[in-house]
Amino acid sequence: MGPPPVVTGISPKEGPPGTRVTIRGEFLGTSVIDLIGLKICGCDCLLSAEWKSKNKIVARSGPCKGRGDIIVTTRSGGEGTSTVQFRGYHESIGPVKESAVWVEEAAPPSLPWGRRPMSPTTYTPPDPLGLSTEGDECKFPEDELNEMFPDGSGKLSDDNFQPGWYLLEHHSNTSFEDLKAGMVFLQRKVEGQKEGQLSFLKANTGAVMDQLDRLVLLKNMYEEDQRKNGKEPLPSLQSAIEESIKLADSLFSEILSRKENADKTREALSLLMRHKFLFQLPASIDRNIRKKEYDLVVNDYTRVKNLFGNTDVKLFQKILDEIDKKIEDLKQKLYTRMKTMPIHVQEQTKYIRLLISLNWEGDAAWVAITARKDYLMSLMEKVKDHFKHKEEQETNDRGKRKSKETEGEGVWSAWRAAWCAAACGALAAELHALWPLARRYFAGELAGEPADPQRHKDLKEMIIAGVELFSEHMRSCLLSGGGAVSADTLRTRLVANLRYLREAYDSLLKLDLPSQPLSIVEKVIFDYRVHGMTVFLQRALKRVKGLADKETWKIEEFTDYGAITNLPNLLETYMNDALSAIHKCVGSAGRREGALLADGSEPAAALHRHTHQILLAYSSALNDLAFKHPDQDFNNTSLSVALDQKLEESVTQSVVDGCSWQRRLLIAAANAHYTRRVTLTNIANTFENYGFPKPSQALQAAKEALSSLESTIAETYLEHKGDPLVGTIEPSMYMGRYRTDADALVDDARPYVYEIINNLIAVHAEVDSVCGPASSRYVRDICETVCEELARLAACAPAQLARAAAFQARLEYTLLHVATAGHLTRKAERMDNIVEGFKKRMELQLASLNCNMETV
Amino acid sequence: MPRLFCCSCLVPRPAPGMSKKPAAQPTLHKVIMVGSGGVGKSALTLQFMYDEFVEDYEPTKADSYRKKVVLDGEEVQIDILDTAGQEDYAAIRDNYFRSGEGFLCVFSITEPESFDATQEFREQILRVKNDENIPFLLVGNKSDLADKRRVPLDACRERAAHWQVPYVETSAKTRDNVDKVFFDLMREIRSRKSDDSRATNGDVKRKKRRIIKCAIL
Repeated sequence: MGPPPVVTGISPKEGPPGTRVTIRGEFLGTSVIDLIGLKICGCDCLLSAEWKSKNKIVARSGPCKGRGDIIVTTRSGGEGTSTVQFRGYHESIGPVKESAVWVEEAAPPSLPWGRRPMSPTTYTPPDPLGLSTEGDECKFPEDELNEMFPDGSGKLSDDNFQPGWYLLEHHSNTSFEDLKAGMVFLQRKVEGQKEGQLSFLKANTGAVMDQLDRLVLLKNMYEEDQRKNGKEPLPSLQSAIEESIKLADSLFSEILSRKENADKTREALSLLMRHKFLFQLPASIDRNIRKKEYDLVVNDYTRVKNLFGNTDVKLFQKILDEIDKKIEDLKQKLYTRMKTMPIHVQEQTKYIRLLISLNWEGDAAWVAITARKDYLMSLMEKVKDHFKHKEEQETNDRGKRKSKETEGEGVWSAWRAAWCAAACGALAAELHALWPLARRYFAGELAGEPADPQRHKDLKEMIIAGVELFSEHMRSCLLSGGGAVSADTLRTRLVANLRYLREAYDSLLKLDLPSQPLSIVEKVIFDYRVHGMTVFLQRALKRVKGLADKETWKIEEFTDYGAITNLPNLLETYMNDALSAIHKCVGSAGRREGALLADGSEPAAALHRHTHQILLAYSSALNDLAFKHPDQDFNNTSLSVALDQKLEESVTQSVVDGCSWQRRLLIAAANAHYTRRVTLTNIANTFENYGFPKPSQALQAAKEALSSLESTIAETYLEHKGDPLVGTIEPSMYMGRYRTDADALVDDARPYVYEIINNLIAVHAEVDSVCGPASSRYVRDICETVCEELARLAACAPAQLARAAAFQARLEYTLLHVATAGHLTRKAERMDNIVEGFKKRMELQLASLNCNMETV
Repeated sequence: MPRLFCCSCLVPRPAPGMSKKPAAQPTLHKVIMVGSGGVGKSALTLQFMYDEFVEDYEPTKADSYRKKVVLDGEEVQIDILDTAGQEDYAAIRDNYFRSGEGFLCVFSITEPESFDATQEFREQILRVKNDENIPFLLVGNKSDLADKRRVPLDACRERAAHWQVPYVETSAKTRDNVDKVFFDLMREIRSRKSDDSRATNGDVKRKKRRIIKCAIL
């Protein structure tokens, strides 16, 4: 209960009924509804009260009179008090005065004097003193009057009328003279009244006549009415009333029935409104499904299940059935969508969640995983089939257009590259989708039964199966083929394929897959790398094998080891090409891949083996080059030439087609020599540069092969060069035998000596032109051969040969010795050394001897 | 006989101690606001009574307010009669003035006419109360509108000095000096009342004055 209201201010403090009063105070109510009572001077004014604030109320005063408290009553504070008072007074109301209240029309009952009021509203009786009170606005305070006349009243008609009050109220400003005159007037009036009724009639003749006239008029009208309606107007009136009652009844009942209908309709409408959600749900589900806003559908469905799941109302059940059917359809649809590949993993997850939230019976996530795996497998197969098909087409086309074989080969390889790319992309993408899905599944995010241990195993198998399929395809794709395409194309393809593989591998690594599938992929990559290496090496081998055809016998360079053609350089280039390709393409290991050429590993051994083969192939190519032509030449030309023609001629003839076979031999030997000394070292350096294990065994073998080749060549050359030379000695020696007179003076060597020297010069020239510094070996050897032949001939000479002949022979040997001084064998050199030693030791003797001789 | 009534009405109002009201009621000081229309009498009153500044102007007829205040530690009641400033009601002023114990004569410092009118009000009050020393304060309102001031401060002070009354400038809007004028007036009324009660016992002069007044009437 709050404090009671207190009125402390009133504006205005007095007024006639209906005055707009502003009441101010405290605790005048906390709100409009708190104000439950307002009394001004005892009149209830609540109806007109206008609550403004707790300090202010505006109201209109009631028809009260006199002074009184303003009592405000509130619900919260109860009945209040007032420190100020309102005074209500009745104004005299005239035609020019407005009034808000109804003024009683009845004239005061006892109007002691017969003056007729001018208008019914002239309420205040005229002044009994006959004095005008107009302009006397100066009112005497009423409370003072009340104090003075506690039981009196100022009203003429009241029982407790007090003349003093009346005078003070109405004539406080009237002069004494006037009052006296009024007294006289009043007395006269009283006298007049005493004269009786006659005087009253006299005084009011006009009014009495008026009344009589009216009575006559009334009588006439009554008679006329009776004439018109008969004596009994009541029955017709009654029937009319009854009719109207009936009509009213029917109208009323009609209205009632209408109202009933309206109520029913309203009820139905409100029901519809209340369960609008339910009734509109089927439509909204359809709409949302069409808009693919499945979340809304799920929300709505859950809501409706919560709200109406257990309803007994038939209508609701019907609608629920309908909704359930739609939801079933939706589930089916979602399930199909979820299984339909390809699909983005997020979308699939969305569908899975939706299915879960729709209470789909079954393990949606697991189904999705399986579907994904199947899709991966089928995708792989599809990719494979697609490219196989393309390839076959290509092959067929190639069959038709043989001329474009190489091109076709290139295209075929391109298809494989595309296949590889596609398969890698597919694997990476699908595993990217599958693995997170599976992870979330096993994390329990996608419901189902991830706890089942069988699932883990299944998933692992699935992934491994997928990866294995992939690796199998890749193996068949990449490792089986490998056409002869240009090195650049091959390299680009290889790099590209490797890149695809690595990208796929990388993405799998990022997925944090278990190590088993990863190692499978890694193995594929590794194998492919090894394959690439092998391909490069095989290419090199093939090219080296084809070196024999490339030999132009054009001398490129004179080195310390003789004149070489471009073969060694080519070998080095090929090797370099292969090694750099290997280094660039496959040598570098990707993330989490093993080194390709680890010591003692399989690829390293393969590398060595291939190097070995290449080098051997090279040496055999050199061998072929060196000995291929000689076979023909010996058979056709050399021997016959040696027999029939002069050596020079045959040499000249052989030179016709570019290079004689002896020359080729020599060049081959020089090549071998150079290769052995320089090229192999370079190759070994290259290996080291690229960080490959050094194929020392292969190099050693190659060295041996080359040196044996060299010696073979040397032998062959000597054989073929020496034989004709030696063969010419005997015939030419004996050519002039018969002309030689035993006693003839020996003055010159026989011609065969010149011939030998000439031939030797020719050989030397040839060898020197090819082998340079290494030529001495050949010349020395051939000199030895010649000497042996001469020795043999000398031994064959008859012992009884003439002295002259012996002399001649001696002469000729000495000459030869001088001639071939630069190319003496070690044996001869030793003899020379001995002679020189002897000469030094016996210098004096010899000098003396010579001196004598000169004198002689 | 009428004359007798007339005399009886002029019998001095009961002394405070002799009030008809219950003895528990604190002393009542009756304050009357006078001044031309629109100078802010009601605004001052409402500000004093309810701490409220009424912006919209609605001419007053006659408002009555009464509340308890603490004057120098003594609880008293102040009764404020807010009169109409308009000339239309000039005729009924006499009646009101008769009951007043102290007057706040308000004018607006932005309106010289209202300042001029204070002269008439002063004369009317003196005529009705017939007392040169009636508690009276000359109040210049609307001091917040200093920029629109049209009544010089000197003129105001001069007039107050001439009347031998205090002059205070107030602002009903800012509540500047509002409490001061009411409390100052109440103090004056209080001191007058204590003077009177002392003089009650056989103060011939005072009775004489009443007789004089009666004769005038």
